Amino acid sequence: MHNIFHQIKHVLYVAVISQLILACSVSVPDSYTDSSELPAIYPDYVGVTVPLNIAPLHFHIDADAAGYVTRLTAGEQSWTTADRNVCPDINDWRELTQAADSITVEVFTKADDQWTRHRPFAIYVSKDSIDPYISYRLISPSYVTYEDLTLNQRNLETYDETLIYGNMINSNEADGQCINCHHTQMGNPQRAQFHVRQYLGGTVISYDGLIRKVDLKTAETLSAGVYPAWHPTKPWIVYSTNLTSQTFHTRDVDKIEVQDAKSNLIFYDIEANTVTPVTADSTELECFPAWAPDGKYLYYVSAHWECMDSLPQELELIRYPHDVQYNLYRMPFDATTRSFGKRELIYDAAARNRSVTLPRISPDGRYLMLTEGQSGVFHIWHSNAELMLIELAKVSPVEPSERIVYSYDDLRGMRSEIMSEAALNVMGDSLRQARADKSPLPAGVRLIAELNSPSVDSYHSWSHDGNWVVFSTRRVDDNFTRPFIAHHDGQGHFSKPFELPQDDPQYHRYFMRSYNIPEFMLGPVTITPQEYAEVIKQPATKAILK
Amino acid sequence: MKTASTKRKKDSNTIKEDNNPKVYTPPLHSERGTWGEVAFILPVLCVILVAGYKLVANETEMLLRAQELNLWLPTVTYWNQLAQYPGAVVSWIACYLTQYFYYPWLGVSILCGLWFIVCLLIIWAYKLRRGWMLLSVLVPLALLGAVTQTGYWIYYQKLQGHMLVPTVGVLAAVLALCVHRLLRKWWLQLPWLIVWTALGYAWFGAWGLGGTALICADFCLNAIKQGLTPTSGKPRPAKRWSTAIGVVCALLGVALIYIVPQLFYSHCYQMTEHDFIYRAALPSFRYSKNVFTQYYWPYYGIMAAFVLCAVISIGQDWLNKQKNAAIIAGAVSLVWTCIGIVGVSEVWYRDVNFHRELAMNHAIEDLDWERVLRIAREGKGEVKPTRMMVMFRNLALFRLGRAGDEMCSYPEGAEKQNAPWIVRMTQVGGKLVYYHWGKANFCYRWCMEDGVEFGWKAETLKFMARTSLLNHEWEAARKYLRMLGMTTFHHKWAERYEKMLDRKDGLDLTKAEASIRAQKPLLTPTEQREFLPIMHLMTYPDRLDGDSGLIELYLINTFAHGGGLDPVFQEASLVFSLQLKDIPTFWPHFEQYARLHPGQRMPMMYQQAAYLFGTLEPQRVDISHMPFDQSVPATYQHFMEFNNQCGAMNEEQKAEAFRPMFGDTYYYYYFLVRNQKTN
Repeated sequence: MHNIFHQIKHVLYVAVISQLILACSVSVPDSYTDSSELPAIYPDYVGVTVPLNIAPLHFHIDADAAGYVTRLTAGEQSWTTADRNVCPDINDWRELTQAADSITVEVFTKADDQWTRHRPFAIYVSKDSIDPYISYRLISPSYVTYEDLTLNQRNLETYDETLIYGNMINSNEADGQCINCHHTQMGNPQRAQFHVRQYLGGTVISYDGLIRKVDLKTAETLSAGVYPAWHPTKPWIVYSTNLTSQTFHTRDVDKIEVQDAKSNLIFYDIEANTVTPVTADSTELECFPAWAPDGKYLYYVSAHWECMDSLPQELELIRYPHDVQYNLYRMPFDATTRSFGKRELIYDAAARNRSVTLPRISPDGRYLMLTEGQSGVFHIWHSNAELMLIELAKVSPVEPSERIVYSYDDLRGMRSEIMSEAALNVMGDSLRQARADKSPLPAGVRLIAELNSPSVDSYHSWSHDGNWVVFSTRRVDDNFTRPFIAHHDGQGHFSKPFELPQDDPQYHRYFMRSYNIPEFMLGPVTITPQEYAEVIKQPATKAILK
Repeated sequence: MKTASTKRKKDSNTIKEDNNPKVYTPPLHSERGTWGEVAFILPVLCVILVAGYKLVANETEMLLRAQELNLWLPTVTYWNQLAQYPGAVVSWIACYLTQYFYYPWLGVSILCGLWFIVCLLIIWAYKLRRGWMLLSVLVPLALLGAVTQTGYWIYYQKLQGHMLVPTVGVLAAVLALCVHRLLRKWWLQLPWLIVWTALGYAWFGAWGLGGTALICADFCLNAIKQGLTPTSGKPRPAKRWSTAIGVVCALLGVALIYIVPQLFYSHCYQMTEHDFIYRAALPSFRYSKNVFTQYYWPYYGIMAAFVLCAVISIGQDWLNKQKNAAIIAGAVSLVWTCIGIVGVSEVWYRDVNFHRELAMNHAIEDLDWERVLRIAREGKGEVKPTRMMVMFRNLALFRLGRAGDEMCSYPEGAEKQNAPWIVRMTQVGGKLVYYHWGKANFCYRWCMEDGVEFGWKAETLKFMARTSLLNHEWEAARKYLRMLGMTTFHHKWAERYEKMLDRKDGLDLTKAEASIRAQKPLLTPTEQREFLPIMHLMTYPDRLDGDSGLIELYLINTFAHGGGLDPVFQEASLVFSLQLKDIPTFWPHFEQYARLHPGQRMPMMYQQAAYLFGTLEPQRVDISHMPFDQSVPATYQHFMEFNNQCGAMNEEQKAEAFRPMFGDTYYYYYFLVRNQKTN
């Protein structure tokens, strides 16, 4: 018996050692032909710029081949693998990123006993490190139903992903809980908030170790707080309040339209637990507030909406969604009196037959990034959504253009209701476009071509130093949102973005959830999901209307 | 063969030789089973084989659907999703095995194999002898009941791999018991109890705790056996000591059952509600706020079977000493087996409409429209169909081009699905219906909603892939096809559709039809049969809309009120306007149909509808010059005369009286088919 064990042990040793030798002895082929074609890899890391401290960029070679060899070279360092999944470990990767400003990637594939070297490409390494964490919500891109939703945090230096809070800990078959909008004060994980809807609902705010659940709905506000914006330094949060509904496209691949029938802004003081209405104009749909980094301005978007027809507002919004176009505004803020001044129109998107949302200002206050689409405010569902950059020093307040009014009744009574509706939308589109053709982009405003894709490019967040942006995009498969990260050179230019690296390079291909609202954080949230769960089980403290 | 008394003597000797205090554990079976002993396993095997046969014979469609409503992927992502909850391993294995129902006989063979292993392990663990061996079959019978009672839960269960989870879970629990038995020494069994409870809970959820319960029960049984064993041959303190250790271990096990899930809740699983921790990996028979306790009977049966086996294992020695012990054993086992069989028969879900819905769904997936109609006809006069069946049948008639003639020739009905909750078409066959009526976005939408709520399934991914192809969302289609390509049995399906990504023009209606006219078809004949009619039905403008979860009403309204010049779409509008029974909506579609089909025979239902509506509202359209078939006015006349004769009857009575003569006319449909509540 002892002999048998001894022999097995021996065989195992030999196997392990030979595997190690094999692994160490991978070398590039001696003879090969050069191809001008870049290798087909996923994720597309060709020519991207990465921070020094990012987790290794693992990728998969898509082309079917009889053999694979990949060599990563940076200065004197090199690393080679014969696997189809190119997955350097974190130590090898660190050696490479520290060795030079770029890593050269050579991919060799074998077919018919002949090796081909694809056109080598570079991965550029920036010395600007990135904020170590991002937070996001993982959600299946469903429409009405939801089951398990999680707010997660991901360490960008490794692949570690942990839960901030998951709804299933407080849900059951009868009572479900929706969670959303995890948001921090300038990336500080100790000062964060998120919403819990429906079962045990409320807004959960953690502030320097204290956690509480508040109910922000008051008698005079439309709803509880929805889209938040922390003041950069004070314990204040401005929220939009929204009456939101969802409808479904019958043919358009965008599939769903999320619209606000009404919306306003409110100001919430965490310490005093008071809510103060900021706007209350029923003809304006204010949404997505964002503070300037110095706290002197509050930026937001708003669409002017007045019914032109005899239909109720909700129905008219649904029937003619392309007419709902949001512009970018700002209001001055006086921190001593906590009051807002007169609003100013910063970018008239409607004049260009466009609609903007999600303003986010760079930490140095120079740039404002937003998302532009044709209409509406929920651009994550609009395939025409693109990222846009405004250089704030170059723009000044403008007068709003007049709304195009056309009579719906002219085209009523066509052969079918659906046909007349379609005809109306075509007419509206052409009238708006005719005006837009005469309205070029203002100076200081540009679409960020280097970041945009033919698919959705939407939610974005700046790192604390403004050197990096993370944004949501559906460019991989048009349906599921993935976070992409790009380097900002400080002058309004960005490098080619790269997909959030995963240990398993094909992870996102089989992942049936979207990354919702990715935002940088300077560290991890240390409150456990169980601690949050206990707070959420308690009744919410009612906010006081001021 | 050795008798029980000789065996006991041997056990006593073993104890006598060992002076160390320890828990009494019966020795392993050292005696070799003779052929006679083995022969007692044959009835066990027979019962399992018969169960398997019945399962294949009666539930082929259900098993096929079960694997369509299941998904197993060999990816880290897939595992990570399962691993968020306790019981990931049991779900993972169950999902893997459920795939094999792709060939029902293969899946059932595997299932029977697992059941037989469960029986052997139970026989071994509880040392069931001869006639008592048959008792082991009670557990598989209960497991069979858990499978066959499924019914509409097949669409509503959230537990992944729910159909095989009980089998895998029981197998794991029994294996835990067997390992415990193999270890024999209490100081080995105790660590195993702790390790198993921790690992078992993480891997198998409540089934793992079930394994711990079996181990606890075994400690108790042995303590009881100690009490029953004569004291001779063993020092009294040693015996007391070993009994005490057994009781303490059992109590510790009970404590672990309570503590381990709590520890996992507070330190590991962050997505599990506290109330759910002891039910992890158990099927839930809750829908909304209602709990349907009747579905737990098979699970009680599993527990009862184990209790019975345990009781017999204690009393077996005593029973075997009785007169006619073999007959008693055989008779008692047989009676219990019969009770088990009756129990399975009681819980077996035999609803005709459920099975017909499954069969029709399968036929539509095969594009075998005639088979759909054959199944629709099977129900004639027997059981009223569900709306789902009516919709399947109407779809088949439309695809065969016979809706205009035969839409009233089949049984009508709105039978509620036989389930104690409201079954929605959206969860059953609604996605299939939307897909074939060209509502690609709505099909996709319900796939997504379903996937989110009830978990991803092969069927869902197939619809998502196909609707993405139809919507020209190539990368989305590639994603779903790639996932299906990794499954054990659906990869060929995926490969077939993946080829379409190389022929994207084939999914452009104009180009596809031009290629057919040029005799260089971009689509294969099968693809043409599937996609061309759908592409015709997708020729409508975009708008924002919602179905409120009522598929039939949505289709009726959007088609009847929809406009379009495509002849296929136009005819669909006409068919649905007949169902809407709205006269102003009908006429434009009728006129359009007549214009688009000049010189062709007007289908009978359209003629009858035109004649009826023209007669009811002559001011709207003048029908006097329309060339109706002679039978159209004659039948109407006859219908009205008969109506006068039946003047005193209420609507329900009239519906019965008119059916033999007029059941296949639109007149009957218009006047007497009412209140068809859709779901």
